[in-house]
Amino acid sequence: MEPVTSEQIRRRIEEALPGAEARVAAFHGSDHFEAMVVAPQFRGLSRIDQHRLVYAALEGWIGGPVHALALKTAPPEAGS
Amino acid sequence: MADTHDTDDRMPSQDVTAWIDTFKRETAEHAVFVYAKGEKNLAMCGFSARVMQIFDRMGVDYEVRNVLTDPIIRQALSSWTSWPTIPQVFVGGKFVGGCDIVSEMYQNGELQQLIQGVGSHPTT
Repeated sequence: MEPVTSEQIRRRIEEALPGAEARVAAFHGSDHFEAMVVAPQFRGLSRIDQHRLVYAALEGWIGGPVHALALKTAPPEAGS
Repeated sequence: MADTHDTDDRMPSQDVTAWIDTFKRETAEHAVFVYAKGEKNLAMCGFSARVMQIFDRMGVDYEVRNVLTDPIIRQALSSWTSWPTIPQVFVGGKFVGGCDIVSEMYQNGELQQLIQGVGSHPTT
């Protein structure tokens, strides 16, 4: 399985969710990642559905090269 | 619908549909149900350990199914919930989320509220 980098994960999230801002970092070596994603698409969604959008963006990677992804999501703050 | 799956939910030969029936039943029967890597009090993964610690700390009674006993369990679970990672936590028969969401809800008090609501208003 080809490893992926934090940068590739960030790019895939931001491409799938135009206007999103993702910060991704690896921890515990190279297949555990943490991500903080702020995206306008999250507005009005439950936290579960916000996370599902990120998982969908990374389809095929979760459980593969991305063994674990600690995830925080939020819509952009009003006015920003 | 009465079939043999009601009694043999530990048989590894169950197919995806039968597993989903099992999930529906066991999440409805328990106020808090956790699909984890590992057994209750013996997690095989830090994220599963974390959610179990949260419920232990809260003094909440919860039931665990170890998804590692058969790969089809995880496959069936993820197809049912559209959620790719483990653990997966259910409260009052409803999917709540994974480790991150449950931790966040614990820290801001939402989890306690949710569980209290289920305890005082049984759904069955």
